[in-house]
Formats: sequence, C-alpha cells, structure tokens
Amino acid sequence: MASPDGVGSTSSVAVGAGVAAGAPARRRGAGSLQALRRSQLSFLLWIFGPIVSLFIIIRVIPIFVILIFSFTNYSITRPVWRWTGLVNFERLLQDNNFLLALWNSTEYVLVAVPAEIGLGLLFAVLLSRRVRFESFYETLYFLPYIIPMVPAAIIWKWIYAPGSVGLANFYLEMLGFGRVGWLTNSKIALLAVIGMHVWKNLGFFVIIFLVGLKNVPADVKEAAAIDGASEWVKVWRVELPLLKPIILFGAIMATIWAWSAFTEVYIMTQGTDISTGTEIAVLVFRIYQEAFRFYNMGYASAISFVLFILSLVFVLIQFKLFRGWKEEGV
Amino acid sequence: MRETRHSALLHAALMITGLAMVFPLVWVFLTSFKTSQDIIRATPTLLPERWTLENYAGLTKTAPFIRFFLNSLLISGVSTIFIIVTCSAAGFVFAKYRFRGKNLLLLLIISTILIPLQTYMIPLYLLTRWLGWINTYQGQIFPLIIMSSGIFFMRQNILGIPDELLDAARIDGASEFAVYLRIILPLSVSALAAISIVNWVYTWSMFIWPLVVANTEDMFTMELGLMYYQRQFITEYGGIMAACVVTLVPVLAVFLAFRTRIIEGIAFTGMKT
Repeated sequence: MASPDGVGSTSSVAVGAGVAAGAPARRRGAGSLQALRRSQLSFLLWIFGPIVSLFIIIRVIPIFVILIFSFTNYSITRPVWRWTGLVNFERLLQDNNFLLALWNSTEYVLVAVPAEIGLGLLFAVLLSRRVRFESFYETLYFLPYIIPMVPAAIIWKWIYAPGSVGLANFYLEMLGFGRVGWLTNSKIALLAVIGMHVWKNLGFFVIIFLVGLKNVPADVKEAAAIDGASEWVKVWRVELPLLKPIILFGAIMATIWAWSAFTEVYIMTQGTDISTGTEIAVLVFRIYQEAFRFYNMGYASAISFVLFILSLVFVLIQFKLFRGWKEEGV
Repeated sequence: MRETRHSALLHAALMITGLAMVFPLVWVFLTSFKTSQDIIRATPTLLPERWTLENYAGLTKTAPFIRFFLNSLLISGVSTIFIIVTCSAAGFVFAKYRFRGKNLLLLLIISTILIPLQTYMIPLYLLTRWLGWINTYQGQIFPLIIMSSGIFFMRQNILGIPDELLDAARIDGASEFAVYLRIILPLSVSALAAISIVNWVYTWSMFIWPLVVANTEDMFTMELGLMYYQRQFITEYGGIMAACVVTLVPVLAVFLAFRTRIIEGIAFTGMKT
C-alpha cells in the first residue's frame, strides 16, 4: 500500500520512454529510434526498476507499516494479533516512562538545536574573516563529527566518570570547584549527554555555514564596506540574511538528529554501576526497549509514530519561522 | 596595529576552542599507551610516564577484536560497493530520462532523507526475520544499500554532463547500458568518490542496526564489540581506550587522506542515508 506512486511511475515508463532522446531521434532512422527506445526501456526495467523496488521495500513500506502497527497489539512472541484502535495511544498518555522520555527528548531538541546552530554560526563567522591556517582550525572542529559515536560516547563516559576518576571532575577540583555527579545526578546527566552530542556534531554546522559564508558574493560584501558598515553590521545585516536557506537546512538536520539520538544515551547510561538509565531515557531508547527487549512491537510502533509526527511538526515549524524571517525583509 | 591585535585575539580564541574540541581524542590516544597504574593516578599527566603497548596486546586475548574489525570492514565495504552502483544508476535515470511520475518519485526519495532509520527499524527487523537474516551479514548490510541523499547528489552531478555526449554515443549504436558504463561512470568518478567515502564512514559508525540484528559475537561489528567490551571490563580503562583508538584510526586515516572530498560530500548529504 506504500508504493502505488513509485511502482506506478516505473511502469508508466512504457508510455513515455524514448522522449529523452529527442535530439538524436530526428537524425536517426525509425529503426534505430526503436532500438534506442528498447535499450532505454530495458535499462529502466533491469537496472532502475530493481533499485526503486529496493528503495520502496527498505524505506517507504516500513514507514507505512509503522503507522499500521501502532494500531495493533503485534508482538513477535505471540502468534495472533488484532486491531486495538487507539488503545496504544491511550496507554502512552498514562505511561510515565514514555512521558519522561518524551520530556527528555524535547529537552534534548530545545537545548541541542540552538546550541549547535549558535556555536556553529559563531565559529563559521570567525573562520570566514580570512583567517590564516583556516583549514587547520576547520579540521580541528570537524574531527569529532567524523568519528564513530560509540567510541566518542565511551570516551565521554570516562571523562564524566564519578569521583576523582573522571577528567571533568579532576579539572573542576583543580579550578577550586566541588565535584559534580555528571552522570549520576539525574538533573545534570541529560545535560551532560546533550553537551557531548553538541561537541560531536558541532563540526558539521561549522562546515556548512562556512561554505555558505564563502559563497556570499564579493560585490555584496564590498558594497557594505563602501557604505561604511562595521564588521558587526556586515555580519548581522548582510551575511546572515543571505545564509538563511543554509541555516534552515542546518536547523532541520539538528532537530532530526536530536529527536533520533540514541547511541550516546545508551552507551553513557547503560551497563555500569551508575544507572541513570530510566531517568534520562529518550524516545528512541524507549522504542528500542519496548520493541527489542519486551517485544511489544505494536506499542513501540506507536512511540515511533509519535516520534515521526513530532519531527515532522518541528520541521514544519522551522519552515514557517524562516518564511516569517524572510518576509520581514531584514 | 589594532588589526594585528584583533587577529591575535581571534587566533587565540580559535586555537583554544579548536584544541578543546580535539582534546578528548588526544587524551584517549595518549592514555591507550599508559600502564594501568599510570592511568588511575590521582593527578593524571598528559603524556604516559612509560610508553607501553600492553593495552593493545591484551585486546585480542579478551575479545576477538580482529574478527570485529574484519566484520566492520566487510559490512561497510559491501554496502559502499552497492551504494556506488545504486546511486549512479538511479542518478543517471533521474538526471537524463523523462517519464511520467519521475519527479514525484524523486521527491519521495528526497523526503526519506529526513526520516531516520530509528523510526522504522521495527518493520525492517521483522522483514529481516522473515527473510531468515537475523544475525547474518546480509541482514546487517541490506538496509544500507540505498542512500537517498546519495541518489540526489549523483542526480545533481549527472545533470551537468552534456546531453550531446550521450547522444553521440547513442548514434554510434551504444546501448543505454554502455552509455552508463562508458560515459556516466567515468565522468562522475569524483562525485562517486565523495559519496562512497561518506557512506563508508557512516556504515563503519553504524550502531543501532547491528545492535538489533547481530546477537552472537562472531557477527559483531567493531562498534558493537567495543560496547560489550567496555560493559564487561568496566575498570580496564587501558584496554577500553586502546579498543576505542582501533575503532577511530581507520576513520581518521580516511578523513585525513580525503579531507576535501569528505567535507564536500558531508556538507551536501549530512552523512545519513
């Protein structure tokens, strides 16, 4: 049911194919035009067709199946399942674990997205001032982004380790502050994990904003300089408004990554003596536990569905906000 | 005068934050060469007191890290080979063919870039189970053989190849398959290099999917093996750090070798399928 558009378009090729080669068609005889059409059709059928089918099987259908499952009590441990209507969603509203995870994920998005966009813009603007060794700094900021999340999370778990073992506490004490229970104090733990998430992803935002700033036409910058605009005014009034589409793209990526954060939370809170696991669980963590630990596939699908809708809503809000910004005509 | 002071301040700010960004990585690297007593000292030093390889030597004794490493290489390598074929062929069709529904299909592909695997892994898992692929290499690889953002990236690149070039080959009687092989592929080598590096890094770093489908040690990737290892040997800091370094080094080596390509590819794709 997921695929009518996709499959329909591949099979409708039979009607429309061959148009692609309009130019040579005029120069060629009718026979070779037919040969070309046949050749194009077989490329679509044997190469493009399977790729699109694969895409639909592993990307499109699963998304629709999630929607269906969220209205069932499906579980792989039970042979039968039935429609349960809105029961899963009603249960969600009374499930404290879910509500906590929902709140934690919301906090994740509300803290991580502004931090990543703000800091990303700051460093991109600084680097775009024709700094020497720019690519060296670029590399430093980018390194955390390129490395895998698992070792990165393990490293930070160690930095945040309780007592005097962890580096974070060691430096705090050196500076004369008291120790902090980075991952043991449930009030701080989530922020500590978000901090790690921001550290990890910041490089991506610096890079995309820097690419955008470099593409600001030189004459626009010169015009502003001739008008006697200060550096600050140039950034705020000229460069950032021109960067809007990229900021929007960055904000969308940051939002989606924050909603779907899992690895760092899983690694940093699981399997140690410090068990803040349930207190700082996020939505994907709940999905993982419900689906693959308790085998409540139906219920977990309902959580996935909520996650999907939430990301969609946040992306739409950002589009709206940015459109407003544009019409304001800064 | 004022200019130079400004730029000195700027460099100081950039240097301090930049070093702070890589400090955890440097710390781990140096720690992996420390002896176990050295690691738990009350006042840690940056450089090891005595350089040792014992943490690395101990790795293969406690867990089959060589196997994990090869598994990761196999999975990310096969996925990348598939990505090269699927992205270039689909990109070719989206850039150069015209048929009804094409733009709708392209829009569908682009919109899935924004939907992370985490939201639909349950149906994917059930599909894997139905295929009998739980705890196999196929099961770990098959969700990674289509890269939506890569298809779009290739389409944008192939749009720039002039139609006359394709038509000339067609007039000479080349089949579409030959056009794809002899014109499209050679002319998009650099774009393909960018997406294959990005895809390789992405699949090497993959965690949640292997966690769900791989359940015995012989199928573990480096990431999965590392996670279980640090869970089991909580206090073996030296070993854990050495294992982290082994996981990081291939990615860092690839990054430093192909810096520009990676940045170009990642700025476009966001490094997610």
